[in-house]
Amino acid sequence: MSGQDQARADQGLVDQGKGRRAEVVLVYQSLLGIYGDRGNATVLAKRLGWRGFDVVLTTVEPGEPLPDTGNVYLLGGGEDAAQISAVRALRADGGLQRAADRGAAVLAVCAGYQIIGRSFTVGAVSDAPRADDEVIEGLGLLDVTTTRGPVRAVGEILTRWSGPGSEGRSGDDQWLTGFENHGGYTVLGPEATPLATVEVGIGNCGDGTEGAVTGTVIGTYPHGPLLARNPALADHVLEIGLGEPMTPLDRPEITELRRQRLQAVRRR
Amino acid sequence: MGRVPVLPPPSQPVLTGSPRGVARARLRGAIWAGRLAAVASRVAGRGSGASIRGQVMMRLDPKALAKLLRGRRVAMVSGTNGKTTTTHFLAAAVRASLGEDTGRLVHNADGANLHHGIASALSAQPDADVAVLETDERVVADMVRLGRPEVLVLLNFSRDQLDRHHEIKGLGRSWRNALAAAGEDGPVVVANADEPLIVWAAETAKQVVWVDTATTWTQDASLCPNCGAALVREQPDHTGATGGDWHCSACELRQPPADYRVVEGRIVDRIGQAWEPDLQVPGGFNVSNAACALAAAELMGVETATALAGMRTVTAPAGRFATMQVGRTTARLLLAKNPAGWAEALPLAQSATVVLAIDSAAADGRDVSWLWDVEYEQLAGRTVVATGPRAQDLAVRLCYAGVDVRTVPDLGEALVGHLEPVDVVATYTPFQRLRKMGGV
Repeated sequence: MSGQDQARADQGLVDQGKGRRAEVVLVYQSLLGIYGDRGNATVLAKRLGWRGFDVVLTTVEPGEPLPDTGNVYLLGGGEDAAQISAVRALRADGGLQRAADRGAAVLAVCAGYQIIGRSFTVGAVSDAPRADDEVIEGLGLLDVTTTRGPVRAVGEILTRWSGPGSEGRSGDDQWLTGFENHGGYTVLGPEATPLATVEVGIGNCGDGTEGAVTGTVIGTYPHGPLLARNPALADHVLEIGLGEPMTPLDRPEITELRRQRLQAVRRR
Repeated sequence: MGRVPVLPPPSQPVLTGSPRGVARARLRGAIWAGRLAAVASRVAGRGSGASIRGQVMMRLDPKALAKLLRGRRVAMVSGTNGKTTTTHFLAAAVRASLGEDTGRLVHNADGANLHHGIASALSAQPDADVAVLETDERVVADMVRLGRPEVLVLLNFSRDQLDRHHEIKGLGRSWRNALAAAGEDGPVVVANADEPLIVWAAETAKQVVWVDTATTWTQDASLCPNCGAALVREQPDHTGATGGDWHCSACELRQPPADYRVVEGRIVDRIGQAWEPDLQVPGGFNVSNAACALAAAELMGVETATALAGMRTVTAPAGRFATMQVGRTTARLLLAKNPAGWAEALPLAQSATVVLAIDSAAADGRDVSWLWDVEYEQLAGRTVVATGPRAQDLAVRLCYAGVDVRTVPDLGEALVGHLEPVDVVATYTPFQRLRKMGGV
C-alpha cells in the first residue's frame, strides 16, 4: 500500500472508484425537499466520494430536463400542491421513466413515493378524507395506489428490511430506522414487493408493510435523512445504480446513531 | 391620516370595561387564582409560572383572554422567526414614547405567546392600556377575533415543526380567513413583501403596510400560494442586498411595492428617508425585524426617531444574543429553530469553537430531518462541539459535511473548558436550559 493509500485508509476512505464518474440526481428539490430530503443526496455523494469515485451531484428543477446519465435519482417529500406540480413536470419530461427503464436506481421518499405510484389522492382540507378529494394519476413506476388515510402517520418508525438487498443481513443491519409524516395510505398491487415489515409505526397503510420495490425502483415513507440513518440501504441503492458491490466503510458516528435510534424507538 | 397618538390616557380602567359585574367578578377571581398558582410554581422552582398562571385563569374563566384584551390598544407580532426580537423592538419603541409613564405598556417579554401566556402577561398589568404581544402563528386568528388588534406584524413563514404543523400553507390560510372575517374591524397589517405566503395571507386585510425586508431565504416559497403555479424570481440587484422581486407565472399575485425598505443595512421609511439602525443585536435579519417594528410603531403613533432610540436599547430579548458566564466559560447564546433560522444564526457564530445544541422535544419538533437543510459545511475547519439529546444526529450530519466534531451530550459538560469565548447555537429547549444555567 502506498503512503497515500495508507493515509486514505486511516481516514476511513477506500480506493474503489479510482476516479470513475458516478452521478447522483436530486429531482425537484424546491418541490420535493420539505423534510431535509436533500440529505439523501448528500449521503450518497459523500459515500461515493469516500470510496474514491468522481462524484457529480446534479440538481434538477421543473422545466429542466432530467439527465440520462445518472446512476441514482432521488425524490423527496412535499405538500399537496408541490406534489401535483412535480408529477406534471416529471410526466412532461419523461426522464425518470427512461432512467428506470435502463436500470438506474430510483429512490423516492414520502410524497415522491406517492407520485411514482399509479395514483394518489389530495384534498383541500388536510388530515381528513372527503368526498371532494382529487385523484391524481401517478407516473406508474411502482404498482402502488395512495388514498387519504384515517389518521396521519407521524413519528419514529422502525422496520425490518425484507425486500431485495436484505438477504443475509442479521443483527442491527436488518433494521431500517426513520421518521414518517404522511396523510396518504399506500396499498401495494401484485407487481410491487414491500421494502420492509413494520415493527413500530404505520408504514404503507397500517397493514404491516412499508415501502415498495419493483426492479431498480424503491419507494418508502421514512423521509429526509433516511440514508443517513441506514447506511446499508444507502450502499444498496448505490450498488443498484452502479452495478457493483460497495466496499464497506466504517463510520463509528453512524453506528452510534443507529444504536441510539433503535433504543429510543424500542423503549416506547 | 387619522392616526391615534400613543399617548392619550386610558379612557377607563381596563377591568371595568366589562359590561356585567358578574363577568368582572369571575375574571377577578380567576386572576387571583392564577397569581397564586404562579407563586406556587415559582416557589417550587418550576420557572416563572407565566404559563400556569394563564392556565389556571382560563380554566376558571374561559373568556378571560377576551376580557383582558378589552379596552386596550393592541399590537401583535407573528411569524416563524424573529417574533420575540421584533416584539421587543416594538415594545421598546412604544415605551420610549411613553416617557415616565411606562406602566401603561404591557408586553409578554418572556416569549410566552400562546393563549395562556398572553392572558398571563395581560393579567399581571390590568391597568396598562397599550399591549404589544408576541403571538404564536397558531393563535393569530383567535387573537384577531378576540383582541381587535390595531396593528398586526407578519414577519415570515418557513418550515418549522412539521411534525405538528404538517404544512405551512394551512397557517397562512387561517390568517387570511381571519383578516377577511374581521373586515373593517381588523388590524392594519405590517407585512413582509418578500414572502409570497405572507403577501397572500395579508391581502385580505383592510390596509397593509408593505416592508421589503431584503429576505434571502426562498427555499420555502417555490409555488404560488394563491394558484399553485410556479413563482418567478427576478435576479437580485447588483449589491446582492435584496433577493429579487417575485411574481406568479400564472395569476396576479406579485410582490407589492414597498412602503418601507431595507437597503444595504439601512431602513428607508415611507417618505424615502434612510435611517441607520445602529442596533445592539447582530445580524442583517434583525435590521429586517427592526424595519417591521418601525412601521408598526409609526402606526401606533410613535415618531420614527423616538422609535429607533427605543429599539437601540434592546440588547438580549428573552436571552437571544445574550452573553453569559458558566464557570470559566463565556458563551454567547444564539437561538435557531429551523433551517431559515439556522441560515441566519450560523454565520453569526464566529468563535473559534462553536457549540451546537440540538433537541427534539415537542417545542423543538420531534423530527430532526431539518438538520440536512442547514449548511453546516460552512463550519469546516472550526472546532465544533455537538451537544443535547440529539447530538448524535448532528454528529452524523457534520460527518457528512466534512466537519470535525466532538460529541458531548450533556449540555453543562459541553460548556466546560473553553478558554476563549464560544458562540452557542441552540434549538428551543436547550436554549431555554442554557438561559437558566447562565441566568440570562
